[in-house]
This record gives sequence, C-alpha cells and structure tokens, in this order.
Amino acid sequence: MRLLVVEDHVALADELLADLDRSGYAVDWLADGRDAVYQGMSEPYDLIVLDLGLPGKPGLDVLREWRAGGLTTPVLILTARDHWAERIEGLKAGADDYLTKPFHPEELQLRIQALLRRAHGLANQPRLEAAGLQLDESRQAVIRDGAEISLTAAEFSLLRYLMLHSHKIVSKTRLLEHLYDGESERDANVIEVHINHLRSKLGKTIIETRRGQGYLFSGHAP
Amino acid sequence: MNSIQRRLSVGLISVLIIIGLLLIQTSLWLFETSLHRYFESEMRHESENLLAALVRGPQGIELDQSRISSAYTQPFSGYYFRIEMTDETWRSRSSWDHLLPLSPVTGLQQDLTDGPQAQRLLLYRADYRRFSQTITIIIARDYTPMLRGIRRVQWTGLGLGLVSLISILLLQRMIVARALRPLEQVRRQIAQLQQGQRTDLDTQVPQELQPLVEQINRLLLHTEDTLKRSRNALGDLGHALKTPLAVLLSISARTELKSHPELRNSLRTQLNQIQQRLSRELGRARLAGEALPGAHFNCAEELPALFSTLALIHNRNLQLDWQAPDNLRLPWDREDILELLGNLLDNACKWASSRVQLEIKVLAKGFAITVDDDGPGIASGKREEVLSRGARLDEQTTGHGLGLGIVRDIVDHCAGNLRLEDSPLGGLQVVIHLPNPLFKG
Repeated sequence: MRLLVVEDHVALADELLADLDRSGYAVDWLADGRDAVYQGMSEPYDLIVLDLGLPGKPGLDVLREWRAGGLTTPVLILTARDHWAERIEGLKAGADDYLTKPFHPEELQLRIQALLRRAHGLANQPRLEAAGLQLDESRQAVIRDGAEISLTAAEFSLLRYLMLHSHKIVSKTRLLEHLYDGESERDANVIEVHINHLRSKLGKTIIETRRGQGYLFSGHAP
Repeated sequence: MNSIQRRLSVGLISVLIIIGLLLIQTSLWLFETSLHRYFESEMRHESENLLAALVRGPQGIELDQSRISSAYTQPFSGYYFRIEMTDETWRSRSSWDHLLPLSPVTGLQQDLTDGPQAQRLLLYRADYRRFSQTITIIIARDYTPMLRGIRRVQWTGLGLGLVSLISILLLQRMIVARALRPLEQVRRQIAQLQQGQRTDLDTQVPQELQPLVEQINRLLLHTEDTLKRSRNALGDLGHALKTPLAVLLSISARTELKSHPELRNSLRTQLNQIQQRLSRELGRARLAGEALPGAHFNCAEELPALFSTLALIHNRNLQLDWQAPDNLRLPWDREDILELLGNLLDNACKWASSRVQLEIKVLAKGFAITVDDDGPGIASGKREEVLSRGARLDEQTTGHGLGLGIVRDIVDHCAGNLRLEDSPLGGLQVVIHLPNPLFKG
C-alpha cells in the first residue's frame, strides 16, 4: 500500500512517517500544497493523508483540485479544525474521512485500514479477510483456521496488497509501484522472492502466476 | 408606543381646534358689532322720528299717532318705546303692560334686557330737550331672532369645523403614511433581518434615512467580520497547539516507552486533559451567540450535509433520520447549531446499535430538539450524575470529541435546557429546549 502524507509540521510528519512505515506502508511525504496537487495526480497512491493548513495552497483547495481532476483515491483529512461546519466542508470537498488533531496513533491506523478496505469494497469487515485468511494488521500476522502464521514486514505488505485485490490479476510493475515509496530502489526480483516465501508459508496454490500478466491471489488452499 | 403618526395627529388636532374656535368667535364678534352699529343708527333714527311725532295739542303734549310706525301699536311686535317726560311716562301699545327699564346711560345699551313674552330686548336711550323740558326716549328691539341666527351660525360653524377637522385628519394620516412609508419599509427589513431572511438593509431609501441604514449595514458587516476573524484566529491557535499535541501523543505511543507503562500512562492522561480543556475552551470561545441579528440555521439546507457527514464518519450501516417542519429556520448562528447537532448526533451514533433519529419541533415560544438512539442508554439514576458532573458520555468509545460538554455550553449560551430521557427506540433520548430569542422583547 502506497500512501501520500501531506503535512507541513515536520515533527508530526516524522512521527507519522515512522508510524506508517512500521505498519508496512510505503509512504511519500510532501509539505507544500502546490506539490501535493501535482504529485497526488501523477503517482498511483492507494490513500492520501491530507492536512488542511498547508503552505502554498490550502488543503481544501488541493482536495477540490484532485477531485475536479478525477482523482478517486481515498483521502483522509487530518486537521486541528474540529468543528462540524469545517468537517462538513471537508467532506463536501471530497474527503472520505476526517480525523482531528490531536489523535492517538492507533486511531489513525484504524481509520486508514478501514478506509482502504472500504475503497476495495470490503466495507463491513472488522479485519481484512480473503479466502479463509485473516490478516491481523496490528500484529502483522496472518491467521488461518485459528493458527497464527507470522510474516516479515515485506511479506506482510505484499500479502495485504494481494488480499485487498483478491481474484484480480496484479502485475509486477503495479506491485512495485504500490509497495515502494518514490525513493526506494525497485527490484522486480525481490517481489518474486517474497511471493515464493508467502507460497512456502501459506501453500503453493494460494498465489497463481499468470505468465506475462502478473499474479492472482485466489486463496486456494493446498 | 410613541408613534410619530399619533404625535403629529395630536399636534394637528389641538392647533386646528384652537384656530377654528378663535376664527368662529372672532367672526361672530365682528358680525355682532356691526349688527349693533346698524341697530344703533336705526334706533337713533326711530327715536328722532318719535321726537318729531311729539306735538303740542289742545291737552298739552301729544303723540301724533299718524306719524309713528304701526309696529308700535301691534302687541308684542318686537318694536317698543318709552317716552319719559317730566311728569308723564308714555309707552308704546305694543309693549302692553311691560315697562321698559330706564337705562342709566344714553346710546345703545351693552346688555340685553328681558322683554315681554321671553323676548330679549336691545335698548337705546336718547335724551332730548323739547318743549322746554328733558324728554328721554327709550327704543327697544326684540333681539331674539338675531340671537337665534347667531346660535345657528355657531352650530353651523361648529359642524363645518368638525367635518373639516375630520377630513383634514384623514388627509394628514394619508400624507404621513405616505411620507413614512420608507421608515415602515426599513422597519420591515429589520424584522426580516432578525428572522434571517436578509443579510443587509436596502440602501435605496430617502436621504434622511440614508445615514441610519448605512450605519446599520456597516455595523452588521463589522460584526460579521469580527466574528469571522476571531473564529479564524481561534482556529489558528487551535492548529498551533493541537499539532504539537498530536506529536506528543504519537511520541507517547512509541515503542521505547512500552517498557515504562506508568510514565506512558501519566503522559497520556496529561495530554488528554490538555486536549479536552483546549477543545472545550476553543469551542466555547467560538460560539457566536446572538452577536449577529441575521444569523440562522436553515434545516433543509444544512441537515442533509450533516447527516451524510455522520454517515461517512460512522460507516456501519446506521439508519439516520431527521424530521423538521418545512422551511424551518432556527434563529441562531449556523456554526453554533451545527456544532450542537453534530456533537449530539455524533454521540448518539457512537452508542446506537442501528438507529439514530433527530426531530426538531416548533413550540409556542421556542424549539424542541430531540435525539433518539437505540443504544444501551443511561440508567435513570445515573443521568443526574452525568449531567451535574458534566461528565462526558463518550469516554469509552473511539474518538476524542467532547460530546455533551460543548453541547451543554451551547445550550447554556442559548438560554435553553437539556434533559436525558428514555427513548422509545430503547436507548437514550436527549431533549433540548431552546427559547426563541425573537420573542424576548
């Protein structure tokens, strides 16, 4: 999952980035509203965390421009302005959720998880579930038939992405784009290695390889 | 009420009555004076005639009957005389047994005297010397027809005066109403302003009203501007304080602190306290109250947006409904009411298992806002405690809003009251009564 955080307060941005990184998200950070308008439209983010009081361009204007430009990526507004009139304004501008500062880091995590599930049509699940697998996002582990199987950080983010796109073919390029932030080096072979690790932990048939197309998470147990 | 119309009417009536009476009396006085003058010359002539009719006959001085007017022989004709000589007194036959009084001065007498048959007589006395003696002739004329005429003139004048007074008043009323129409228009616009149907006054008014209207508009703009600016400043202050708080909260969640649970807990408690206090005070400072006369909350415009926001925030298939009379406008600031309803409904949504209902009703002197949910509710014994302590109802659920705290602040600000009841849906019912500030006067 690749996230964009637009926040001008450096200390808070540091905390957010560290926190989101620990949760297995690939995160890009911007502090200026004008940059955000451009980068939000050009990079394939899965979710955007947007502060409203931004230099360059106010957050609400950034959001309006994104929506006017046809961007459908879920946007979570993160702001100190906690009045209902402002919340309504934010959601009218096209936000998907609204979290007010100060917030507990767990709260932000839960909101991001819920928003991602909702964006992939899995709105009513308290936990990410696909094909008999349950993903425990706080512990970065997968549960099958009550048994917990631990995962490395890379395996966890890969599996989360595949589970959110279960029964869809996901190309290797797409995986690279969504699992690494803008600054990491991308190596297609690394993906293959992680896929193989997942297969060995969860069973060979759980992820099919479609030659020339990509991978398909079908969840077929061995 | 001190109405301009009434003041003008009272002034006009008194001036008209005084001038009218003065006019009638003066003209009557002038008329009577000239009438008297006419009678005086008439009666002098008469007395001279009588004097000429006195002739010396065989038995001394006699009155030549052929030389005097026949009116003096006809009883009670209204024409009388009395001739006073040294040893004799003659009177006209017309006066029958009535003897005209001997007035002390010569000429026309100022006062009328009683005559026969309830007649009022005007007297004239002339003294002559003839036949080597003083002859006093008194002529009397019945003045009653004149009096009657004068009375008639008085009544007619009074009637005419009344009719013209009434018509002048009606006319004045029309003219004043027409002249004051711009004032009435401004008055109506101010009423509309208070009901939130307009945001400023029309400046197309007569030049006498121009400064007043402009000043009111300027004040309105100024108040609105000040409110907006202070809200922005509060928002900035909140932003400046809450962002570092968010950093601190995030730091308190760091793994390094996991080994020091008591340190972490006290850090969190203190941070939460700061946050709650900050939000509550900022929220309270933001309240507009009745600063803006035109402030209003349009239910049909605002509620759908509020409910879709709630549905988005509480994304768990809650059934959210609202009911309010068509075109209902609550006469308070939009943001205040949004804050009140938002927090109430947010609280209800946190606790509800499937349904939340808002109902706004118009009462005789205010509004009733009812929020129902089908959650666990609050035991009736605990409600008092919850309200009196100002405890937050949302302590146990996610989110760190202020729930009922800010709601109570707003209700107090609007001089309303808040009650907790059993909801027919099974959970808690919050009932808020807000008195309509427009009825205060």
